[in-house]
Amino acid sequence: MPVLSIRALRKSFTLHTIDGRTVASLHGVDLDVEEAEHVALAGPSGAGKSSLLRCVHRTYLPDSGSVRLGDTELTSLPDRAMARLRGREFGYVSQFLSAPPRTGPLDVVAASARRRGLDPSEARDAAADSLRRLNLDETLWDVDCSVLSGGERQRVNLAAGTVRPPRLLLLDEPVSALDPANREAALDLIEALREHGVAVLAVFHDLDAMRRLATRVVLMRDGLIADQGAPADLLETV
Amino acid sequence: MTSTLDALAATAEDTLTLGILDEGAKREIRRATLTAVCVPGYQVPFGSREMPVARGWGSGGLQITLAVIGADDTVKVIDQGDDAGVNATNLRRMIASTTGCADTADTREATIVQTRHRVPEEHLADGQVLVLQVPVPEPLRGVQKSVVECARMHAEGDYSAMWVSLYEDLVRNGMITRTTGYPVLVDGRYVLATTPIPRWDVPRLHDSEHLSLFGAGREKRIYAIPPHTDVRPLTFDDVPFEVEYTPGAACVLCGHDDVFLVAAGTSGAYACSDTEWCARVREADADLTAHRDRAPLHLLPDPATRLTGTTTTTPRPQRARPAPTPGQDWALRVDGLGKVFGAGGADAVPGTGPESGSAISPTTGAIVAAWDVSFDVAPGEALGVIGESGSGKSTALACVIGDEQATAGTVRLAALDEGRTDLLTLPPEARRRLRIDSMAVVHQNPAAGLDLRVSAGGNIAERLTAAGWRSYHGIRERAAELLDRVEVPLSRMDDPVRTFSGGMRQRVQIAKALATEPPVLLLDEPTTGLDASVAAGVLDLLRGLLSERDIAAVVVSHDFAVIEALTDRTLVMQLGRVVERGLTDQLFHDPHHPYTQRLVAAARR
Repeated sequence: MPVLSIRALRKSFTLHTIDGRTVASLHGVDLDVEEAEHVALAGPSGAGKSSLLRCVHRTYLPDSGSVRLGDTELTSLPDRAMARLRGREFGYVSQFLSAPPRTGPLDVVAASARRRGLDPSEARDAAADSLRRLNLDETLWDVDCSVLSGGERQRVNLAAGTVRPPRLLLLDEPVSALDPANREAALDLIEALREHGVAVLAVFHDLDAMRRLATRVVLMRDGLIADQGAPADLLETV
Repeated sequence: MTSTLDALAATAEDTLTLGILDEGAKREIRRATLTAVCVPGYQVPFGSREMPVARGWGSGGLQITLAVIGADDTVKVIDQGDDAGVNATNLRRMIASTTGCADTADTREATIVQTRHRVPEEHLADGQVLVLQVPVPEPLRGVQKSVVECARMHAEGDYSAMWVSLYEDLVRNGMITRTTGYPVLVDGRYVLATTPIPRWDVPRLHDSEHLSLFGAGREKRIYAIPPHTDVRPLTFDDVPFEVEYTPGAACVLCGHDDVFLVAAGTSGAYACSDTEWCARVREADADLTAHRDRAPLHLLPDPATRLTGTTTTTPRPQRARPAPTPGQDWALRVDGLGKVFGAGGADAVPGTGPESGSAISPTTGAIVAAWDVSFDVAPGEALGVIGESGSGKSTALACVIGDEQATAGTVRLAALDEGRTDLLTLPPEARRRLRIDSMAVVHQNPAAGLDLRVSAGGNIAERLTAAGWRSYHGIRERAAELLDRVEVPLSRMDDPVRTFSGGMRQRVQIAKALATEPPVLLLDEPTTGLDASVAAGVLDLLRGLLSERDIAAVVVSHDFAVIEALTDRTLVMQLGRVVERGLTDQLFHDPHHPYTQRLVAAARR
């Protein structure tokens, strides 16, 4: 059974503030992600890649269709159950750090590890380990995240998302602001997730990352899946 | 022919005695007195009559004495322990001459002892009546100005304010300084003011053989302690009740030190307050051994036991958390809650709401402040309620709290009767009790949740004593622990809250709300009214507290930043209705309802 199974997923936005205009985003997407599989979403801006991730995470509420995490139907899951499942059973790493204000990197990552079942001291150890692997300077571990640079924040976010990884990770351009050296470390970390059997659904803008990490590339266009296949076959056509 | 007046005068000569009170007035006072005896410690109102003494000179005691006395009684009157004082002498003569009873100075012969200030040193036996002239009958007067509120506190047995005043006294002075009028709990039910007697005499009221009647003429109250009634001075388990004591003092006349002494003259000497006793001691007409056994010598102040121990002697009251009921994971559940201000009730609802663009009923003109509001919250979860001013979010919360009477709906708490009981059907006192340990509230205005005149520790003590805590050190420890958690410096613990800044007050209010570890916490605009940096600090604190506790929280705010920082799920309210609900981040990133989209757009600016 796939870890993530998406069927006929549709999403549109009705913008009441702009005279009720409707903007369509997804037009019926079908997609499975298996255990230890890394599926990279590719395609032009506005193709619906991020919307797809957000619909799975239910940051966007899908109009229709089905999103199943293992046996669990996520689209109709009560809000409370969804809130509990998030972070614990699957993670979402966006391009930007969404940490509570006035907290330090170590606390942010440790809080994430605690949500995934570690006790407080284990969580701190795991968090420290994770931050170290991403080369975040130890002097920054307890400063307010809002004073960090974009690249530092992105590493904190990635560390929080990948610490004690859940079954499914949704990555939305998690390395976009990193310099080459840090980017390598981050990609190593993401690559290692597969060894833990984590299913990954990711959006990367650069082809190198996709070539290196993806086991399958899914090409999206206008809210639909246009093509999919092995990275080597597909990425040449993009 | 004999006139009616002559006839009456002829019969009255033999049967009627001259009296200050007519028979009707006596019956009224006796009725009140009987009620007072039946409900020990309860202040019975009565129709206080004009007396030929000024109010404050014993008119209340005099009315009781005149109502219960008969011609075969023997009366003794004491003023400040003295039988020969002007007031005592005049009252005694007046009583004797208008009732025809005998008078005496010897306590052993008296059947009725009317007194101001003292209980006689001599043993009061079965059958004797002690009538006390009371200046201020209301023990809560010092802590609560409102008569209505005092009556409520007595009715509900809610004496936490009294405990706080004792706590504050201990904090400020290291000891309880109150002397006359020490509060006692009578028969485990009513707190009574033992005015006018000193603490020395208070133990004499416990399990006494005699009947004590208290009369307050000016305040028109009668109350009583029947024989063999339990009378306990209010005191913390680890702070002993003490009587007045001057080390080394003894009566200059009789030489005894096991009596209540008063300063005699300006030479620094002391003498017995009870002049009758002192005279009999000197005449060798007193049972000194029995008196010594009676004297409260075991309650003399002992600095060694007072406030020195830091260990908690009594266990903290633990409230068992109810085991979760299978199939029910909420801690608080609200169904179809509605509130209509004005006429019509549910009939006023049609034609109001977001579709109509108004909360005012077109038919009755009533304001439908909230209607059909439903939600539940689970332990460890925080629910947000967002909307503009006037959207009904605070009204809905006020109905849940019990500050407003809901027009419709049900509110259930898992902690109460496993969620089977609708809170809205409970009487106000039961709802107030729930707010002590089942459902705490943090108000926007700290003054609504705190007594600003009382110290930070005292405000927390109020909640703890209401929940049954009786250990002074235990309360101090717990208050310090809570204040430390909310980052109020412990050096400020004993300062009145009115000297605190707004942010500090809000922290104290939060500490108080958490004092009894309630399963449900309701936050009404917890950071509104604080400036940005202070609000941020309070918000961080709340986020930390909610994440470390298994508490079910409802956060009402107009501010998306507050809702986003604290909650997992959110309701959006507009014109009294819930227009949208969902995961908080989903409402923020993918709002469906036009109103929510407007709110989000406004928050993003």
